[in-house]
Amino acid sequence: MLLIRCPVCGVKGEEGDFHAGGQAHVRRPATSDPVNITDEQHRDYLFLRHNPKGLHFERWRCDRGCGKWFHAARDTVTLDFKAYYKIDELPPVELMRQATGYWAEHFAPHLKATKAKKPVAKRNARVRS
Amino acid sequence: MTGKPYRLPESAGAGRLTDRAKPVSFTFDGKKMTGFAGDSLASAVMANGQRLLGRSFKYHRPRGLVGLGSEEPNALVGVGEGARHEPNLRATQVELYDGMVAVSQNRWPSLGFDVGAFNNRLSRLFPSGFYYKTFMWPRSFWKTIYEPTIRHAAGLGKAPTGRDPDTYEQLHVHCEVLVIGGGVTGLAAAEAAASTGARVIIADENPRFGGLADIAGGKIDGRPQTDWAALRVQQLAKADNVHVLARTTVAGHFHHNYLLLFERLADHDPQLIADGVPRHRLWKVRANQVVVAAGAIERPIAFANNDRPGVLLASAARGLVERYGVAPGLMGVLFTNNDDAYRTALRLKEAGVGIACIVDVRQQVDGALAEAARAAGFEVMSGHAIAGIETDIGGKAISAVKVAPYSSGQGRVINEEKIECDFVAMSGGWNPAVHLWCHNGGKLKFDDSLQTFVPARHSDAISIAGAANGRMSVGECIAEGYAAGEAAAKAVMSKAKAVRMKPPSTEQEAEKRLEPIWFAPATGKYNEGNKHFIDFQNDVTAADLELAQREGYESVEHTKRYTTLGMATDQGKTSNVNGLGVVSQATGRVIPEIGTTTFRPPYTPISMGSIAGTSVGKLFLPVRKTPVFSWHEAEQANFEPVGEWRRPYCYPKMNEDRQAAVNREIMVVREGVGLLDASTLGKIEIKGPDAAALLDRVYTNTFSTLKIGKGRYGLMMNEMGFLMDDGVTVRLADDHFLMHTTSGGADRIAAWLEEWLQTEWMELRVFVTPVTEQWAQFAVAGPKAREVLQALGGDIDFSADGLSFMSMAEGRVGGYPVRVFRISFSGELSYEIAAPANFGRGLWDSLLKAGEPFGIKAYGTEALHVLRAEKGFIVIGDETDGTVTPLDVGLDWAVSKKKTDYIGKRSLEQSYLKAPNRKQLVGLYTEDPNEVLPDGAYAVEKVTDKPPMKMIGQVTSTYWSPTLKRSIAMALIEDGRNRMGEMLLFPLAGKVVKAQIVDPVFYDKQGARQNV
Amino acid sequence: MSEPQFESPLSGPASRTDRAKLAVDISEVSDRGMIDLRGELSDRKFAAAAKKVLGIDLPVKPRTSTTHGDLSILWLSVDQWLVCCPRAKIQDVLGELREALTDIHSLAVDLSDARAIIRLQGNGAREILMKGAPVNLLSTEIVAGTVRRLRYGEIAAMVHIVDERPDTIDLYIFRSYAEFAWDWLVETGRRAAAIRLFGQQDPPVV
Repeated sequence: MLLIRCPVCGVKGEEGDFHAGGQAHVRRPATSDPVNITDEQHRDYLFLRHNPKGLHFERWRCDRGCGKWFHAARDTVTLDFKAYYKIDELPPVELMRQATGYWAEHFAPHLKATKAKKPVAKRNARVRS
Repeated sequence: MTGKPYRLPESAGAGRLTDRAKPVSFTFDGKKMTGFAGDSLASAVMANGQRLLGRSFKYHRPRGLVGLGSEEPNALVGVGEGARHEPNLRATQVELYDGMVAVSQNRWPSLGFDVGAFNNRLSRLFPSGFYYKTFMWPRSFWKTIYEPTIRHAAGLGKAPTGRDPDTYEQLHVHCEVLVIGGGVTGLAAAEAAASTGARVIIADENPRFGGLADIAGGKIDGRPQTDWAALRVQQLAKADNVHVLARTTVAGHFHHNYLLLFERLADHDPQLIADGVPRHRLWKVRANQVVVAAGAIERPIAFANNDRPGVLLASAARGLVERYGVAPGLMGVLFTNNDDAYRTALRLKEAGVGIACIVDVRQQVDGALAEAARAAGFEVMSGHAIAGIETDIGGKAISAVKVAPYSSGQGRVINEEKIECDFVAMSGGWNPAVHLWCHNGGKLKFDDSLQTFVPARHSDAISIAGAANGRMSVGECIAEGYAAGEAAAKAVMSKAKAVRMKPPSTEQEAEKRLEPIWFAPATGKYNEGNKHFIDFQNDVTAADLELAQREGYESVEHTKRYTTLGMATDQGKTSNVNGLGVVSQATGRVIPEIGTTTFRPPYTPISMGSIAGTSVGKLFLPVRKTPVFSWHEAEQANFEPVGEWRRPYCYPKMNEDRQAAVNREIMVVREGVGLLDASTLGKIEIKGPDAAALLDRVYTNTFSTLKIGKGRYGLMMNEMGFLMDDGVTVRLADDHFLMHTTSGGADRIAAWLEEWLQTEWMELRVFVTPVTEQWAQFAVAGPKAREVLQALGGDIDFSADGLSFMSMAEGRVGGYPVRVFRISFSGELSYEIAAPANFGRGLWDSLLKAGEPFGIKAYGTEALHVLRAEKGFIVIGDETDGTVTPLDVGLDWAVSKKKTDYIGKRSLEQSYLKAPNRKQLVGLYTEDPNEVLPDGAYAVEKVTDKPPMKMIGQVTSTYWSPTLKRSIAMALIEDGRNRMGEMLLFPLAGKVVKAQIVDPVFYDKQGARQNV
Repeated sequence: MSEPQFESPLSGPASRTDRAKLAVDISEVSDRGMIDLRGELSDRKFAAAAKKVLGIDLPVKPRTSTTHGDLSILWLSVDQWLVCCPRAKIQDVLGELREALTDIHSLAVDLSDARAIIRLQGNGAREILMKGAPVNLLSTEIVAGTVRRLRYGEIAAMVHIVDERPDTIDLYIFRSYAEFAWDWLVETGRRAAAIRLFGQQDPPVV
């Protein structure tokens, strides 16, 4: 039973008071361009999810609190939550840097963009990812 | 008075927990016995001279008491009678009360004469892996012969029959520091933590606190350890930031310091049960910090036939005398590899219990305690070990032990000496109780001086102190307890001023190093009638472990599963390290290299009652009731569960069966007027400048074109293109809609809309508020529906033009504020009328009254389903199963071709969802109109003698239609729409039913009846 | 035409309960009207319009409430509030709110009948609720005025601490679950099962 904190309303509660929403930062291709979606894009959107050992990024909903969705970075080995961040935010820069595998690739463009702006952004980057 | 000679005289200064002024009578296996208040069941039975307390799991060997508390592997008993019988309790932990009825377990027909003991004679045929190896052939024998026989012979107590009459409950508690264990270490930790103002819970599995303070020897501040402990317990119990819990086992430690505490409130006193006190309470605790001070458990020694009744741990012997004034026997032999056990010899002698000699495996025995023993006149046989035991016939009592010279690594016994005795107190050293430390991933390391595993690392906010951390002196324990308590509180209470605890002065005899002994060589040939038991509870011997190594089960986890070492309720409390020692010797690997197996929760078993807690009987599951539930109940409706709702299935009248009631209700709607409680229907208000845009994206059809005051039937798909919900959505204003969902979909669809708005379409400005619970909603359906509503009076025009099909109106009917929707799920003229829930019952009654002249009757969900099936309307969950598209069920007309994007659209373009051979919705007429197909029946291409037959589809809804006076069914059939008229075959048990494919709309295809 | 018949969700069960057996007093609150109000705080016009009608600011801090005369506002989410006032006034308040909020992105719905309210009064009320809710109601953060949504006996619920010492706590549950919640309280609130946490206990023997 995990103990989770909602970054929107600040409530700290039992896992059962939250709803797990799977992998974070999956975008729906049709939202930006409903007409030109290749079968591969569609497949990846529907079915392809990653299950890394270690740092992972997830969606959760504060079911018994404010009802809002949010993001969490969690270590799938120790089950420790490394950060909570809002649904329209990217993870803290240091976590994007720590990410490996799929996530490293996913965050690389964002890191590049962040770097260009500020050397170390402490604050969460408010970018739709 | 019974007891002599095992109950020691009061003058012996023993039995500190018993009250000799309060005799208590009880029965054990039907035998009347007497004990004293304060006795454990084990001590009382022992005081009555009975050593035999149970039979073992596999071999049915006679077994007696081994331990002092929760580590007891043998003396498992059943307590209580009938529905209150509870099996598998450790007799050492059962507190005696007047009138207790206790029984031994695992024997038939009686403890003294046990037929199953024949297994012991056959034990050479019962090696580890025996079941896997033996009962393999013929296969059919396993279910019919082998398993029932084995289950009868093996296994523990009997489950109670009858429903448990007692109450149980659970409690969620948060604390800053949880201290596990109420011994001196735990008390010190709690005292230190509480001094900061932190909220502290300290729990101990025993009825008393103090742990081993009363038998550990040594003093604190010049006084007995128990004085120091008693003062702390009193202070902690008084403090308003501490909760002291006795009789409470911390059963498990889980992620993020979530712990289960099993409190036994009333097991010790039947009066409390009679007063209605919950029998058990399961505490679900979240602790910021945990301090494990669970103490240590003494190790047995593996010598030949070390399981005979009368062989017990030295600490248990000491505890029996000190706490209960009960002698483990008349003359004993102490068998040890360490100094601590000498305390037992000294304490027993003081109480007048005979010890013939002390057998110590160490060549050099010169510690302070050994010297004290010698000075007290004990014969210390250093460099010796017990090589065998002589018993009476049947092995139920010891008559002598054989002692032989021993040195480490020695093979066979050469010469031996017989010493007469009737009990053996053994001590192989102490194992820290690291179970709870390990439940959630705590790591261990091997400690050379203690020859056991001690805690190393943990990733949770948990620490471990005292004997549980390998500290075996009272001074170290208190110092470490204080340090752990301070550190834990400081980690939570950042601002608290830590009161520095000053450890008291302690004095205790220094102990010399122990010498590990994993296997004491036996008299005679190895394995000839000799069993060196490692795991008493699971009947695992040293030979079993060696065999497992020879057969290749070298990984300790494989050894465990092959032999059952350390499994089940015991979790290896007394056996784990000894087992590793044997494996180490058999494989030539050192113990740290072998590693340990996983300790699993619970530490000791917890009751099923506590797991259920309050969720029993009518509180077993949440039940949702509509505002007119009490009317349905009074009408003795047949209810059916719809999610958590209870909805009336039908309302049988006198002498009417369910089918007759359903048929009658259907005809009432078709010919007159019926009333349905549709309050469970999901209702969601959707408002905002982008409300219409949202609906266009979640429905397959278009809602932005809907006129105000009008409703439209909508279909929802998931992103896979499969149907997930349907219902009528009404436009209340330009930017304001009321969505109806299925009863089961109400919460899910509201959450679904929120999810899209919050996580994907953040630019849409829409608010979504579920309003299902606000409204009581009833369908008034049938040709006379309009007349009933008009009779009620009000300001709504119910005429055909005033309120046309798929329109809504707001106003008053019969004095009630209502919303009326002219929609139909029955195909008849029909209105759904919604009023605020607290007016629901009143409106319902008014409708029945106003409808009386028109013959109005309530109809249930089954009539509703038949009515809609006659019309060919689908039900989500009947016609759909999560793999069905709108095209499959023939709802192409509701799937927009114009909209560029809506959920599921892209998937519908996939070739496999457009394939011509997909299953399509069709109607079925059975060849015999009286034959109603069973739900889910499969249609096959060709009927053969036996399966497999190629299946081409299945029945999704099937009913007797009283309207058409024949059976009807809906089915999903491969390429069904192109097979119209084809006769399908449905093989059923003993027959094949034929049915013809027809249009799924069976009745009023033009929809004329609802448009009047 | 007769007067509309009003039936609160717990009028039946409450009349069947032997309150003397309970460690705290429980009763149904049925005369309270409730409006579910949604709006965006970033839109200043929204908060101002709400205040103009309700007379007080919407509580912005999570899990708090504000009170003004016979009207109180409970925080439900960052964009959602429960406006409570006497049931008799609900249509007036709702009407005024809707009028003030015309052309402001918002949603105000009368949900007076969607919930049942059970009032617990007496010391030990928090412990009774903790038998069904995995929330630390003894936290020092939970004071008079606190609103906390939670799971209670497996159902969605909300508590509002109306007063402290002795506690007066309103438990809000959805109407269809009202009897289930009431039965839970009656079972877990029995005197024989009473428990006070962190107070004084009988010291166990040593």
